Amino acid sequence: MNEYEAKKMLASYGIKVPKGELVKNIEDIASIKLKYPLVAKVSSDKILHKTDVGGVILGINNREELGAAVKNLLEKFDEPVLVEEMLEGGIEVIIGVTKDPTFGHAIMFGLGGIFTEVFRDVTFRVLPINRMDAQWMLGEIKGRKLLEGYRGMKVDREALIDLLLRVSKFVEENPKIEGMDLNPVLLMEKGYAVLDAKIIMER
Amino acid sequence: MFEHLINPDSIAVIGASSNPKKIGYVVVENLKKNGYAGRVYPVNPKGGEILGYPVFRSIDEVPENVDLSVITLPAGLTVEIFESVARKSRFIIPIAGGFGETGARGREMERKIREIAKKYGARIIGPNTAGIYVPSTGVNTALVVPERSRFPGEGDIAFITQSGALGLLTMDSVSLYDVGFSAFINLGNRVDVNENELLKFFGEDDKSKVIIMYIESFYNGREFMRIAREVSRKKPIVVLKAGRTKRGGRAASLHTGALGGSDAVADGAFKQCGVIRAYDEVELVDYARALAYGKPIKGERIAVVTSAGGVGVVTTDYIESEIHGIGMKMAELSEETKRRIKEEVVPFASVENPVDMTAQASDEDYDGVIAALNDDPNVDAILVYALFQTPLISEKLVDIITRWHREGDKPIVVGTIGSDFAMEMMKRFERNRVPVYPSIERSVKAIKVLHERAKILDYLEGVK
Repeated sequence: MNEYEAKKMLASYGIKVPKGELVKNIEDIASIKLKYPLVAKVSSDKILHKTDVGGVILGINNREELGAAVKNLLEKFDEPVLVEEMLEGGIEVIIGVTKDPTFGHAIMFGLGGIFTEVFRDVTFRVLPINRMDAQWMLGEIKGRKLLEGYRGMKVDREALIDLLLRVSKFVEENPKIEGMDLNPVLLMEKGYAVLDAKIIMER
Repeated sequence: MFEHLINPDSIAVIGASSNPKKIGYVVVENLKKNGYAGRVYPVNPKGGEILGYPVFRSIDEVPENVDLSVITLPAGLTVEIFESVARKSRFIIPIAGGFGETGARGREMERKIREIAKKYGARIIGPNTAGIYVPSTGVNTALVVPERSRFPGEGDIAFITQSGALGLLTMDSVSLYDVGFSAFINLGNRVDVNENELLKFFGEDDKSKVIIMYIESFYNGREFMRIAREVSRKKPIVVLKAGRTKRGGRAASLHTGALGGSDAVADGAFKQCGVIRAYDEVELVDYARALAYGKPIKGERIAVVTSAGGVGVVTTDYIESEIHGIGMKMAELSEETKRRIKEEVVPFASVENPVDMTAQASDEDYDGVIAALNDDPNVDAILVYALFQTPLISEKLVDIITRWHREGDKPIVVGTIGSDFAMEMMKRFERNRVPVYPSIERSVKAIKVLHERAKILDYLEGVK
């Protein structure tokens, strides 16, 4: 499933995603009513890692730049383009779901970027989880200080716990999900937004 | 049901032999030597007598249905005679290897015996198994050279293991300081009886105060979690989980799939069902003893008592450090505690934590210091080093600490360092069911595990 569909599904479970619109041809941008700056991303179920193939254009500041960006992506991939409001500031975290051969669906939580990729600083729970599981997960990662207000940077822990619980419910009600990456999730002083979402369904 | 396995009224040994070099002899000999009080029926077509027991020419001639049949024959023969055994047995332990672990033909043989057992309502432990060892009833089907290894006596630990050899080696090694077990069961190739059923059984067995498991692959992970969550409300479970499976397939293209080797997921699963994780055979039994004998440690503030300054300093590092340590806290002793220790007990000692009583310490000094710490509201647990190398310390210290362990309010863990004499004292602590460890690191880790247990009980209470 492509990013647009994934986010629509998540949003139906009350999971917050940035405001966005799907653009299938260049004329569509005339009707876009989003607040700049924007980001344009190729939205295809065939392209899992968009950044690696040059499928993401950030920091679009006006209609002219948007036209150029969308045209570029449409021509390059011949796939729809997801245009979203660009959010900045806060801490990036990753939340994911995998299907373990022994325990079944499990949820993962970690800090984004190198914390996850280099230090593998992540923690898992078997789904479904309860509030206490979610709270413990936040306290288990080595970089937990970043979630406790580091250098004056506050983050909304309650919103993060709520997100983990909503993902749990989402997977419980959609057992055909084989894997999922919400990466990154931007965690802000108030609330959060799932900036990118990949969902793989069982075939 | 499993009480008939660990406390059988009668045992048939299929393939019993009068040749002391044969498995079929050793099993009969073990039953006799361990004082198994039930009826023993050696079975061998040759007939005769083994160790005073008359031999039956076939299981059909055995005058009753037996609780347990131990088959000491090779895999092929085991399959051949299996039906005649299943017909008359409640439990069957086929010892031989050469089944599923060798390939498709072996798996087919396993399918056969499973079906036969099912037909007659018999249950199989194994095959390819060391079987069971139950100190209290003298049942022992394990094959080791008696002169070169020891079997532990009766105790509080139930041991379920997928590896027979690792299980037997572990029991042999801790026999050195008289650690006892309630039962040992080796699942072997696990064609029938699995760890979940046994976990449930030992969860309700009063003799087992703690359950330890060595598991390479779970029979059913979700079922395990469900049972473990119930059992761990009543008694602790420690699992040594080995074997990390790699995650393949499409999901591995996601970050989460790549990071979630089953080991990381197992770690989370254990936390959700109150299981404590051990990483080797030493931790497995160390943690089991702490949990079986000790009290959960609710807070993080640890008081340390020692007569050797260096031991106190290293312990402090181990308690407070996150790396090479357990990330807990040294207690800030109350003014009253300090006053009592300084004025009433040991004027020569350091009254900060760790309380270093120096080599001048006597048994009575220990008694007084522990009494003060026991009353201190700032202390959540006491780690006492019983070091017997100085002149004023005697064997009596074991009794003093044991008394505080039993009658005091605070959880106590004991460390003792040394050779023969220390080991003798360690055995006494062990007999008194005091959690005792022969090194600083192992003592401190026991503290951590008791704290973990308190958190588990909180968690389980919360998710009720």
